Amino acid sequence: MDDLLADFVAETREMLEASAGEIVAWEADPADRARLDTIFRFVHTVKGNCGFFDFPRLAGLSHAAEDALADCRAGRRTPDAELVTAVLAIIDRIAQMVDVIEAGEEFPEGGDEELIAALEPGAEGVTGDAVAAELEPEVGPASTEDGNSPAPKKTEAPAAQRSIRLPVDLLDRVMSGVSDMVLARNDLAHRLRQAGTQPTIDGPFERLTTILSDVRDAITRMRMQRIETLFSALPRLARDLSNELGKQVLIDLEGGDVELDREMIEMIRDPLTHIIRNAIDHGIEKPSDRLAMDKRETGLLSIAARQAGNTISIVVSDDGRGLEEEKIADKAVKTGLISAAHRSEMSRDAILQLVFEPGFSTAEEVSNVSGRGVGLDVVRDNLERVGGSIKVSSTPGVGTLFTLQIPLTLSIIAGLTVEIGEQRFAIPQSYVEEIIHASSKALDFTRAGENALVTFRDTRVPCLMLTDVLGAEEGEIPAEQRTMVMLRLASGDLFALAVDRIHSHGDLVVKPLAPAVMKAGVYAGSTLLDDGQPVLLLDVTNIASQHQLASDARSRVFRGAEEEKAKSEKPASRAMLFTDFDGRRCAVRLELVQRIETAPVSAIDLTGDRPRAVIDGVILPLVGLPDGPLPAEKVRLLRLTDGSGQLVHAVREIDDAVELTDTLKPVDTDPMIEAVTLVEGKTVTLIDGHALFARHGEVPEAAIKPVCRIPQTEWASTILAPLVAAAGYEIADDQETDEDVAILFDDEYQAALALDVEFAAPVIRLRDIPEGANMEETVYRYDREGLVAALRSASGAARASGSNR
Amino acid sequence: MNELLVMCQIAGRRCAFRANDVQSVIEIGAITPVPRTPDHIAGLTALRSQALTVIDCRRAIGFDPQAYSLDHRAIVVASSGYSYALRIDSIEDITSAIGEPGTVPGGFGAEWSNAASGLVETRTGPALMMDLSALIAGQVSIENAA
Repeated sequence: MDDLLADFVAETREMLEASAGEIVAWEADPADRARLDTIFRFVHTVKGNCGFFDFPRLAGLSHAAEDALADCRAGRRTPDAELVTAVLAIIDRIAQMVDVIEAGEEFPEGGDEELIAALEPGAEGVTGDAVAAELEPEVGPASTEDGNSPAPKKTEAPAAQRSIRLPVDLLDRVMSGVSDMVLARNDLAHRLRQAGTQPTIDGPFERLTTILSDVRDAITRMRMQRIETLFSALPRLARDLSNELGKQVLIDLEGGDVELDREMIEMIRDPLTHIIRNAIDHGIEKPSDRLAMDKRETGLLSIAARQAGNTISIVVSDDGRGLEEEKIADKAVKTGLISAAHRSEMSRDAILQLVFEPGFSTAEEVSNVSGRGVGLDVVRDNLERVGGSIKVSSTPGVGTLFTLQIPLTLSIIAGLTVEIGEQRFAIPQSYVEEIIHASSKALDFTRAGENALVTFRDTRVPCLMLTDVLGAEEGEIPAEQRTMVMLRLASGDLFALAVDRIHSHGDLVVKPLAPAVMKAGVYAGSTLLDDGQPVLLLDVTNIASQHQLASDARSRVFRGAEEEKAKSEKPASRAMLFTDFDGRRCAVRLELVQRIETAPVSAIDLTGDRPRAVIDGVILPLVGLPDGPLPAEKVRLLRLTDGSGQLVHAVREIDDAVELTDTLKPVDTDPMIEAVTLVEGKTVTLIDGHALFARHGEVPEAAIKPVCRIPQTEWASTILAPLVAAAGYEIADDQETDEDVAILFDDEYQAALALDVEFAAPVIRLRDIPEGANMEETVYRYDREGLVAALRSASGAARASGSNR
Repeated sequence: MNELLVMCQIAGRRCAFRANDVQSVIEIGAITPVPRTPDHIAGLTALRSQALTVIDCRRAIGFDPQAYSLDHRAIVVASSGYSYALRIDSIEDITSAIGEPGTVPGGFGAEWSNAASGLVETRTGPALMMDLSALIAGQVSIENAA
């Protein structure tokens, strides 16, 4: 079918879909002018479009309907139920015809004349009834919905959703243009910040920022689609197939939120379907066979999608009978694919990959489902054509695992940015299982020969130093104190990557790297940070396999069962163990712990009636502080939440998350303590979450920074402003803002006073000389401590008045 | 043929790039080093939203960059879909070629023979015509090939 025709069909369809609701509403109220117009436009467009093609019947029908509707619009005729039915019948017929046109068939002759005749005033709606009855079940729910709104005239007719086709490279160009715009904006933002606040520019700039982020979202959506759209058809496919073959299969889908190019989704649809068919047909045994082999009756087929830089890997694993090396090799020798001598030299892995060779099917009997010549060779060819690859690994009797790698020319992924030394690297978030802070004792960092190991959830996990992986210089931070990023590969293997620190996380636009850089084998792509600095995206899978950490054959399916078993055995509640500032070993239920924070002492405010801490711009009540001065510059805080309320608990040291296996002995004497229990033979005080939140919990409000007005001088904006901002103030940027405190030079203040100006807020007065008049009331402008103290006390006052408000 | 050429100095010699291959000349900003890559890859640098691979031409040909001056500008070229920023001693001028690049008896010496595709006469004198793909591949692969 040629493109023009396809466009015609697509457009007509879209309009049909969009006008379906209109038609029903019109039926409910034939006098509704807005609906009439919509339907008129539809038939008019169809008629117009028909002119390009040779569809005389379609043109005749739409023309007749258009005429009748035009009469109504011109007031020559009043629409009645008969007319509505007749028009509906014609629209219905148009829909049928479009279907037929798309299929390239001929529509059965006849019937049109009656439909057209039914449009005449006073005609009997004979044929119309039949069509309306046909139409009804489809539109039933909508009609009741519309029937409930008796005033449809007021509702605007929704514009039909239209679509156009665009070449992909045009989209690419628009997309990179938008990326450039974002960077230009960031650059501009940077310069604006340097230049200080400029009300006339900041407003429009903010607007530009908002628009830009909207555009960016829209552009991104233009190309991307969740793999879910592909996955959603799979359960049905598996169900139908397993029914047909008399098998029981449970399908497990993971990673449906991975996004990839629409195009790419279409590319992998067939290969994936084929592999699933294969797995159910050849892989998973019949229920009776499975029981005989001591397996669960229901086979498990799991499909997991992961994203790694420019590649998506889809792992399809089943717990069926696995591939039989001997059988494959025999067949390969028989068909002359390999020689017998050759065969003896081949590894098991190499032999298994033979299934992707042309003309290969090990099925003993050719079934209805697979093994009809379209083999895995076609799957591999299709994937390779788009630059992908496929591998198989299998353990006899345990299962088979297909790994598909599909490239992405362009992708946006969530990523974690880590640092070693001064340099940053990105890791795709999809691999990250957990981040463990260095000081956590749980890690139990050990060296075994040349390799390092850490303990994670009671298992020893190999640990790679990112510095070693990249051949970079060892940093100043000793190995056992680095932050561990626990990474799980698509195959299910887990390893730890030691980095100096975590920098940030966010969405990364991944761009391909030049071949010479890709050759290093540790990078998957590059991305630009907000400041325009390129950052390399690590190829986690490749790094793991370079260090022999990825085992393809280990079946995810088996591990899943183990984990399930482990879960069912231990229903014990978990708690976070820590030492408080009195040296007590305490625990708080893990469900309450939202995050572990490290805050500088400056984030803690002791001036109010009770201590508070500012975490991520939110003021939270703080408990657990020692009496007297804080012992360190930074304080470790447990951020606790009960769902709505939040508070932070200061701790001396965080030990580990433990399971509370021992009995909990309730304590009556202290309401803040729920119970005392034993962990590893030592007593631990379990904090009563209920009492804690009852007493201290608060729904956090974003820290609305108090506003400070500063003098309009060069000195104030370049030297004073940063100091004021560091003290937790927003600088008043225009005359309208109500300030909480104002800073004025003393001479200005005196002048204002002389003019009887009233000050809405407390005023801090600055003097120019270290020692001078009004020493008590003014602060020397380079007296940092004095200024900060003055701002502090003013902020305390502001908050007090704010909470009274 | 009067092809336009971008003239520059690499390792103290006059070299030429086809103006058609050259996308732009940029001020080089911060370079992000890329560990585990051949020496001649100096790192990545950003050109708007694009990341360019920075190639030090002197090292790619087999000279020690320390011995020569370094231009703060770089020549941006595209090769098989990727963009590279080439670092050289200095960028001179744009001129036009007089005739096709040719060879000279005796060659240009081991390093240069690999990186240069020939000698080209220009309005401002002779220059070595650089071979982009050889520069990008660097010396390592040349040694391997030999």
